[in-house]
Amino acid sequence: MTKQTVYQQVETYIIENREAHYRLAYSYVKNKEDALDVLQEAIVKALQSAGRLQDDRYLKTWYYRILINTSIDFLRKNGRMIAAGEEVIQHHLPETVQHGRDLDLAAAVEQLPAEERILIILRYFEDMKISEIAQVLEEKLSTTKARLYRVLKKLRLEIGEESNQ
Amino acid sequence: MKSLEELKNKYKEIEIPAELEERVKQSVGRAKKRPGRRQPLKRWTISAAAAAALFVGSVNVSPGFARTFDNIPVLGSIVQVLTGERFTLEETTYHADLKTPEIQGLTNTDLQNSLNEQYLAENKALYEKFKEETGLLEKAGGGHAGIDTGYEVLTDTDQLLSIGRYEEVTAASAATMMHYDTIDKENGILLTLPSLFKDAGYVAVISDYLKAEMMRQMAHDDSLVYFIDGDDTADFRQIDRDQEFYITADHKLVLSFDEYEVAPGYMGVVTFEIPSEILKDQLVGDSYIR
Repeated sequence: MTKQTVYQQVETYIIENREAHYRLAYSYVKNKEDALDVLQEAIVKALQSAGRLQDDRYLKTWYYRILINTSIDFLRKNGRMIAAGEEVIQHHLPETVQHGRDLDLAAAVEQLPAEERILIILRYFEDMKISEIAQVLEEKLSTTKARLYRVLKKLRLEIGEESNQ
Repeated sequence: MKSLEELKNKYKEIEIPAELEERVKQSVGRAKKRPGRRQPLKRWTISAAAAAALFVGSVNVSPGFARTFDNIPVLGSIVQVLTGERFTLEETTYHADLKTPEIQGLTNTDLQNSLNEQYLAENKALYEKFKEETGLLEKAGGGHAGIDTGYEVLTDTDQLLSIGRYEEVTAASAATMMHYDTIDKENGILLTLPSLFKDAGYVAVISDYLKAEMMRQMAHDDSLVYFIDGDDTADFRQIDRDQEFYITADHKLVLSFDEYEVAPGYMGVVTFEIPSEILKDQLVGDSYIR
């Protein structure tokens, strides 16, 4: 694969999957403008290091890693690691009363620390395989798996079939 | 996992802003200017440093105004810049802090008054606009918005006073603008860029120097990016006749570019000190710049 084609693939991937990427950024920063800024930053960063992407099979996990790191970086630099959580709790409070359990779960997911919530987002909202999540987070497969199980337990969810995919 | 399935649907309902596509394509276009270059994320660190450093913007000066002379030199007059009227607003998600500079002690009181009036009027207008915008935002369900303006005295010698004023808007994408005023205290003149030079030849001389300098910096440091060598219409070609500038205490000319003017947003406001040698043939004299 030449550099040119990797670059083009990254470009196409970024444009085609922009909505999923936006949602992921939004799930961290919780507002439109910041999410757009984070996305922009991630795109520039990705395209400018596209030369280091060896194999297009890793494109998705590589890009998600950049996106997640950029989001976390943003929160850290803006001192919002905690503030975002509070906002979200506020946001969910009235609905919880109306809808009961599902929104309790929604609030519970939002209250998870970012490094745990991302597991839920990637696995259940983005339908990633556990092996892909491990690549995104640069963890051993067994670590990711154990962490995911712990989070599900914390949320008191039944653990469904989670084979080694 | 029915509940998670429902949460997933909620997640998928996160609203996609209309401008997403355009912003993504724009970012792709920007990155393309320097494919393969490594670009560390430094936008936020820079903007923090930039807030500490300073930014300025521009005063619209009529040429006649700039030539107004005040021929009564007053020995020992003390010119100073103080914070005049201050507009503030502090609510949970809205923040405004507008500091108006006020010049005192200039012998040319007409110049002093018109600058002070202008500073005040600008801040007033910004504050009104901000209140109007947050009002609309509130009606639309709330949001985050902020604005900060302030100033810094860049140069204060017996001869010169350079004031840099910054305007930082953090509502849409955070953007900073800088405006500078440089005053010849002895003669009571507000300096404009064209007034420093014999003719318009300086535009090309400085632009050529800047382009070479931007290339040199980019070759030297991978983290720097300027919009210069592409064929994008937004690329830097030449400076404006009235490009933002100030003069340092050691008589060097410094040009300033707002965020996005010549570089990606993460580079912040960019300034360049122009070597006086290259300007020698263009300058009217060497009393300000040498």
